[in-house]
Amino acid sequence: MRMTRTIPYLLGAAVAATFPLFTGAYLQQVAVSTLIYLTLAVSWDMLLRSGQLGFGTAGFFGLGSYAAVLLVLNVNAHPFLSIAFGGLVAGAVALLVGLAVLRLRGMYFAITTLALASIFAVVLRNFPRLTGGPEGKMLPTCIYAGDTTKIYWLVLAVAVLTIVISEVFERTRIHLALTSIRNDERVAKSSGVNVFRYLVFVFAVTSAIQGIAGGTYAHVFGFVSPEGSFSANFLLLPLAMALLGGIHSTWGPVVGGLVLGALSEYLKLQIPYGHLLVYGAIIVVVTLFLPQGVSRMFKTWVRRSSVTRGVQ
Amino acid sequence: MTAKGKAAVLKVWVLAVLVVVGAGFVVAAEEGPIKLGAVLPLADITGAQGSKAMQLAVAEINAAGGLLGRQVELIIIDDESKPEKGAAAIDLLATVHNVDVFIGGMSSGVHLGQLPALKKYEKVTVWIGAASSLVEQAVVGMDWYFHVHPWDYLQGASYVEGWAALQAEYPLIKIEKAFWAYEEGAFGTSSYNGSLVAFSNWENVGESFKSALLGGGDYRSVLRHAQEFDPDLFIWVGYAADALPIMEQAREIGFTPPLFVGSPPGWPADFGGSALANGVCAYGMWAPSIKNVSPVSEHFWDAYVAMFNEEPATYFAPLGYTNVYVVAEAIARAGTLEKEALITALEATSYVSPLGETLTFSPSNLIEHQGFSKQKILQWQNGAQQVLWPFEYATALPAYPFMGK
Repeated sequence: MRMTRTIPYLLGAAVAATFPLFTGAYLQQVAVSTLIYLTLAVSWDMLLRSGQLGFGTAGFFGLGSYAAVLLVLNVNAHPFLSIAFGGLVAGAVALLVGLAVLRLRGMYFAITTLALASIFAVVLRNFPRLTGGPEGKMLPTCIYAGDTTKIYWLVLAVAVLTIVISEVFERTRIHLALTSIRNDERVAKSSGVNVFRYLVFVFAVTSAIQGIAGGTYAHVFGFVSPEGSFSANFLLLPLAMALLGGIHSTWGPVVGGLVLGALSEYLKLQIPYGHLLVYGAIIVVVTLFLPQGVSRMFKTWVRRSSVTRGVQ
Repeated sequence: MTAKGKAAVLKVWVLAVLVVVGAGFVVAAEEGPIKLGAVLPLADITGAQGSKAMQLAVAEINAAGGLLGRQVELIIIDDESKPEKGAAAIDLLATVHNVDVFIGGMSSGVHLGQLPALKKYEKVTVWIGAASSLVEQAVVGMDWYFHVHPWDYLQGASYVEGWAALQAEYPLIKIEKAFWAYEEGAFGTSSYNGSLVAFSNWENVGESFKSALLGGGDYRSVLRHAQEFDPDLFIWVGYAADALPIMEQAREIGFTPPLFVGSPPGWPADFGGSALANGVCAYGMWAPSIKNVSPVSEHFWDAYVAMFNEEPATYFAPLGYTNVYVVAEAIARAGTLEKEALITALEATSYVSPLGETLTFSPSNLIEHQGFSKQKILQWQNGAQQVLWPFEYATALPAYPFMGK
């Protein structure tokens, strides 16, 4: 039974690892952007597991992008170091911001974090000498000189790292703490859970992941700008991926990310002039009729069919 | 025949078969279509109409017998106004469709994300969008890259020239004070900063706003500050979504400067039909009224309306049409798709475009192959966009002052 459960994961890992061997630059490029959004979707969900609806994804993604690019341009740092630095800056800022905003709950916390992308963009726009102002900054060369196979490995590594961290969250006492905070904060407190400390910790870790994703994205495409790096796409697409795949788990956002990443590209090629309408309609319909997400529906279906087989 | 002789004959036969089969493949490859790969934002009016105009040009070229005895195939991919989608589109066109030339383009932000992919393939690229000078810095030294749209600083310089010419020609028009309302993003802010340098002889005041395109749409505070400043010229730099609300809110507070100018990349298709449009000046590369003074523009207009049953409303339509014809004429001149020959042929471009001007390529500040260098000053008059400057394409006299103040 345990072996049967492991097979899909092994199969997925094998496909991911060998993907560049049987695909060309185009599919690798599609995979790169899908994996970046998937990383954001998983990290967004990790915070959601504590019951906090955070909308700061685009803000920390942009912050990580800028930190990585500016480190390269100003001290000629190695790209890997600058990507890690992007994560560090995003995590550190989230820690400071979190100390203040994690006193808020529900809609108040959501709206405050939603404003972060605009605040960061305005601040960066107003230091034109350092940040290039509204036009942004360019890297002299992109990472791996644009070699999509190598870039795929890099982005896959970031996605895998995020999935591993998410699974660690799922399988340690952090999971119990976050779930109890989500279910009832007062009960969690009375059980000895330091609610505020856990929330700040999760907020900082997920923001650091978003910063790393941002730094990677900036190195892949070679530039940052307030409009591009803090685009609402980096919030809305991951959110749609997590909702479609199923929230409060690692694999829901992963499945949602893969499905939406592939679907959006497929629809674009099939319906060049109306694909965004169809894409939006599919997201709305799935969210309405499958509120638990695709992955949970699949799990339920597998469980039911095995129960039926058992009865027979 | 000896065994040695038989083996020799067999070798000759095998060689002959290989030569015939190989030649067959070469002929088949040569008989395939010439492929042009276009990347545009199809959900936006600029990309939607630009791509249709490209289809029109390809249909005309194929109807006239194609190029080098081959048909032309146009493959259009939507960039969704996202850099990563734009980059994937380049990879798709290069590796799956194996296109011969890249064309298209609109947003600078998307194009910056596409440049790593373009640099990887180094195919001949003739780009009609991306006006940011940041893009110009990124394409220095790329001899296979041809840029058609004027860079942002070239546009600024042409407005200086245009307003100076209009004041000289019509002494009633006097501009000493200007108020700039600009959207807070890269497009608006860099336009404003560039204009401060370009129009340094004017007294300039500027204030940013959040565009309706990005969730804004309330301009009352900016408009009231402009009203207090009492400028000779009020200009807003934003997007099509801002056009009608700005006019509506200006009317609400009774703000009627002598010159009311809008500078979006494209106007709403029905803007001319609004009573608020009359007398509003605009910047652009083309106006439908140019068809009255340019036979090429007239042909383009008639053919576009006949093919799509809609009127072109953005200059990206004639620009897309120009994009295909410039490449097609260069291929015809080169007589081959070989890269160096094609670059040389493109350098010799002299194409009378439906935008009015004849397109040639010459060096800009940083790159070797820059196409157009000027924009036009236009004015909405009785529902139609008229050209005020350059005078050689003028289709009407200026209506001045705005709202008959």
